[in-house]
Amino acid sequence: MRILGIETSCDETAAAVVEDSINLLASVVASQLDTHGKYGGVVPELASREHLRAIVQVVREAMERSGTSYPALGAVAVTCGPGLVGSLLVGMTFAKALSFAHGLPLIGVNHIEGHIHAVVMETRHGGQEVELPALALVASGGHTHLFEVREGWRYRLLGKTRDDAAGEAYDKVAKLLGFGYPGGPVIDRLAPHGNPGAVRFTLAKMKGNPLDFSFSGLKTAVLRWTQARDLAAEIQARRALLKSNSRPATEDWLAVTPRDTLDLLASFQRTVIEELLRRVRLTGEQINARALIVSGGVAANQGLRRAAEQARFPYPVLFPTVGLATDNAAMIAAAAFAKYRRGEFAGLDLGASAGLTLAS
Amino acid sequence: MRKLSTNSEDETIALGERLARELPSRCVVLLIGELGAGKTTLAKGIVKGLGAAAPEEVSSPTYTLIHEYSPRVYHVDLYRLEEPREALTLGLDEIFDRDAVVLIEWGDRFPQILPADRIEIELRHAGGDAREILVSRIGL
Repeated sequence: MRILGIETSCDETAAAVVEDSINLLASVVASQLDTHGKYGGVVPELASREHLRAIVQVVREAMERSGTSYPALGAVAVTCGPGLVGSLLVGMTFAKALSFAHGLPLIGVNHIEGHIHAVVMETRHGGQEVELPALALVASGGHTHLFEVREGWRYRLLGKTRDDAAGEAYDKVAKLLGFGYPGGPVIDRLAPHGNPGAVRFTLAKMKGNPLDFSFSGLKTAVLRWTQARDLAAEIQARRALLKSNSRPATEDWLAVTPRDTLDLLASFQRTVIEELLRRVRLTGEQINARALIVSGGVAANQGLRRAAEQARFPYPVLFPTVGLATDNAAMIAAAAFAKYRRGEFAGLDLGASAGLTLAS
Repeated sequence: MRKLSTNSEDETIALGERLARELPSRCVVLLIGELGAGKTTLAKGIVKGLGAAAPEEVSSPTYTLIHEYSPRVYHVDLYRLEEPREALTLGLDEIFDRDAVVLIEWGDRFPQILPADRIEIELRHAGGDAREILVSRIGL
């Protein structure tokens, strides 16, 4: 059975077709389409109007690339939260129209559950099942959550960020230092060129849930570090580089980034990774985890991948391929299969929920 | 303009709670200050003071742009937007028309899209965890 997934919760307009919860037949993300360039390409698709421009073409492309006709679909799945209501509504209205016109069941999917199922799908594709209970760390620009995943795809929230998301900390530090925005990939590429032990960040102890994350203090510590130095010239040089070349190579960045700043980036990256993995280690023991799923945009971070693999957790560590770490619709279709089997279908009155939670 | 000060994150949250009680049920509040100044921390206090959510439920909307807390509180962050056009397409004018308290971080970057009547709260670093907090009413 094939399910069409549609995702418009934030920046990306995306559609995908998945077969039997295992095979990804096509995954289309608007910002990756060549034809999208004429609309301005890099502008985030944060507005409903931008999603509207892209949705018809993106869904058509996913259906064509996968060689699927509407009557051959088993269901249409769509992200119904969390996200921007105006953006969510574009995907949901489109999905409802398809569901109504073709007589297909409609399935509403939580965006964060989708991130987890990107990994479940890819693991199945590799001939394995994710063993439960599993820990799931979903970290992106907008989310940093740690869940226990139980049999029947039930979730328990173990910890979440109190302030900034992990990906947001990367982006803000990058912007502060003139590396542009988004900055996660740049810091990840430059971090191996610095000394991760050079700058020690002392992070305030948090009250309340010890499994909650906090990245705001680290961001402020980096700000203090930059204020204590005269970085105007190097920041200027990096901004000039970005102006002349929107995608500088690592060597280009290295030419305008002195040792001290590379050390800062390496130390920052190490601190974020330690902050994430420390809580994974703590909770993994508590719940007797049999697998660790890491997903969301931060899961594309090579430093985090290496550290998680070298952490010698007593359970397999599962990351999505890079294309399925960031927002996409394949994960939405993938998450819909279990709901289909349970008969969890939505009516045409399915509502968009900006603050939809997966578990509390 | 009122000048206030706090010495810790907890005090900033408590100040936010007190400020919340003075807010009209429908208003736009700009939270102004550099990175790490405590804008989201103050927002935690205001949201708590309005009875909309607990402080630990309030996180940064930088990436997600708009967080909604019921009843009728919006927490907006325009940090990652580059152009007024992008801010406009978020549908903020619609939110401004609602009977709601709208908290906006980095809103001062796009003065042209803001309502003339608003409250501005500026946060400044004052050494360590201390903050100087200036509250002014614009047009009100």
